[in-house]
Amino acid sequence: MTRGHIVIDDVVKVYDPQGAAVMAVDHCSLEIEPGEICMIVGPSGCGKTTLLNAIAGFHEITSGRIVMDGEVLCSPEKPRSTPGPDRIVVFQNGALFPWKTNLDNVIFGPVMQGKLARKEALDKGRAMLADAGLSGVEHNYPGEVSSGMRRRVEIVRALMNDPKALLLDEPYRALDSLTKSVMHEALLEIYYKNKVTIFFITHDLEEAIFLGHRVAIMTTRPCKPKKILNVDIPHPRDYSALTSKRFRELIEETNDAVHEEAWKAFQAGEKEGR
Amino acid sequence: MDAALRLGAADEAIAVLRETTPFGDASEALLARIAGIARRARYAAGARLYDADGAADDIFVVVSGRAEHVFKPEVGAREALRRVTRGGVFGWAGLLLGQTQRLATVTAIEPTEVLRIDTEALVGLLESEPLEGGHVMERFATMIQREFTLPALLAQVRRLSGPLTEEMSSLSLTLYRLSLWLRSPRPYLMLVGFALFLGFWYLAVEVWKLPRFREMPGLTTVVREWLSPSPTYGLSLYIAEYYQHIAMSVWRVAQAFFLATVLGVPVGLLLGWSRTFKEYVFPVFETLRPIPILAWVPLAIVMFIATESAVVYLAFLASFFATALNTMLGVESIDESYVRAANCLGADRWQVFRHVITPGALPFIFTGLQISIGVSWFSLVAAEMVSGQYGLGYVIWTSYVMVRYPTIVIGMVTLGIVGYVTSALVRIAGDYLMEWRVRELALAER
Repeated sequence: MTRGHIVIDDVVKVYDPQGAAVMAVDHCSLEIEPGEICMIVGPSGCGKTTLLNAIAGFHEITSGRIVMDGEVLCSPEKPRSTPGPDRIVVFQNGALFPWKTNLDNVIFGPVMQGKLARKEALDKGRAMLADAGLSGVEHNYPGEVSSGMRRRVEIVRALMNDPKALLLDEPYRALDSLTKSVMHEALLEIYYKNKVTIFFITHDLEEAIFLGHRVAIMTTRPCKPKKILNVDIPHPRDYSALTSKRFRELIEETNDAVHEEAWKAFQAGEKEGR
Repeated sequence: MDAALRLGAADEAIAVLRETTPFGDASEALLARIAGIARRARYAAGARLYDADGAADDIFVVVSGRAEHVFKPEVGAREALRRVTRGGVFGWAGLLLGQTQRLATVTAIEPTEVLRIDTEALVGLLESEPLEGGHVMERFATMIQREFTLPALLAQVRRLSGPLTEEMSSLSLTLYRLSLWLRSPRPYLMLVGFALFLGFWYLAVEVWKLPRFREMPGLTTVVREWLSPSPTYGLSLYIAEYYQHIAMSVWRVAQAFFLATVLGVPVGLLLGWSRTFKEYVFPVFETLRPIPILAWVPLAIVMFIATESAVVYLAFLASFFATALNTMLGVESIDESYVRAANCLGADRWQVFRHVITPGALPFIFTGLQISIGVSWFSLVAAEMVSGQYGLGYVIWTSYVMVRYPTIVIGMVTLGIVGYVTSALVRIAGDYLMEWRVRELALAER
């Protein structure tokens, strides 16, 4: 499998609001293997979302390059990559269109790209929603279903496009812990079926270790990998992994690194929610 | 003594039922009947009230204490665990479509007192009061979805059988909601408000004869004139000319409002969407917008030879600015994530405009249209006073010139009513176009 191989090569991002340059990402290099779940962990405001935005094409980068499957997404010549259905972002607060029903949301991608006629898209959308156990909410608007369900619909909407990579930006942040645990298993289930590369940003170390093949712990502003952890708990995983000895060991191994960055972020006056 | 005690218990049962979601706004009579079939039960801390998969016979209403309600995992509730206190209702599985077994296990975590109501007895009772019963069932469904976080698919309640509910038309539901509204304090507060206002008018002019109101037509004079088949000053509900004036004003506002919407919405969308367009247009827009409509009157008369178009133009102008500005704000308020998500999903610029920007701005657009229809009336009347024949503004002005004071007030009141109706129509159109929003707001209410 060679789809969804992302190489982040020496990427720098400097924000320059009023001449006071702030370095958000500092010579960051990271390679994400095809079909890997790569978890990016760092305190809020550390610059990890900047990295995701650079891959997705929402922001320009200052220098360096990002390459996916041999295609240069962005580089000094073309500082901003073009957003497209090969890399789909699942947003922190969810971005299902509230004015479309869940089913209409799900078929949005293929219909807009002209890849499927509306009727075929509807058939595929229904099938994929059913696969994710979401048939019952097809005709509801997103505002009418629970936030956990909205996240699942949003992931189905992304998968409808057969993307090479999913870019998840703290998607479960606003959920309560019980819903969150259900969502983790649901995500893994979807992943085992689709084997898409997942670039997942979080500040929750347990979430990162439970889900990821690898966990990259980032330094806080400027952001770059501080420590990369291989999670050697075999996939497929389910909730029993959380109580396993190895899981606890891995947490212990990394907790200090994460805590140290959180302290730095705190001292730098960075606040949760930035 | 014993009877009194029992009476007190029934009152208390009714009080608890009133604190629940499903029975919260049921009538006293219905609550009394439900209390009549309720049985009291006490459970010690740690006692099991019922187990999942048991028969769903009784519905429980907590009177005091605390119980822990845990769904079995297959149910798929968003939150499996729920602590229920006074006013909480559980054991409702028997009310669900095709459900005969308990979905959860419930344990008392404190000494707990409950009311037990037999499900079938309750359903029978509700069926005997089809309209109110249907409403209670609906409230059950809402509670099950919202408080117990059960998926909408599962939280479908049984339909009550009975002659009326089989074909429960939306008309009868509307009527029922109307009767609920009539039972709430709101309509009476509204009436009191009107009564105070009219009473002050009556007293000030006709009883106290305050000097300030010496020339004011009194309430009774106005009403008598308005309802008179042969009015002293020539205008009343019985005179065809009265309706010609109304029709003329409505027609002018309709034209102005239509033009303002057709031009204002696209201009507003473009202003919000294209930075370049905004840079060209917005400064001009912001310079013209604050100019009062009356200041435009002379120019309008010079520009449009026909007075008719001048009047419509003036009404149009004010409404156009309101619509365009609100539409622009609407576009600017759209969460950036929606646009980004659409880009990710492969939508091009035009598709983003059509599928994200336009529907996303719709709530603001309709706020703008409500304001727009208001200012349209406002400037229409101003314009009609200065130039024009026919129309309510014309009536008010000529009545002043010709010293027909009661007719002035008739014109004003008519304006108020017609203006209110048009703005209600705009609101209804908005609700129709934004079903998603209506549903969202309905869920957020409560």
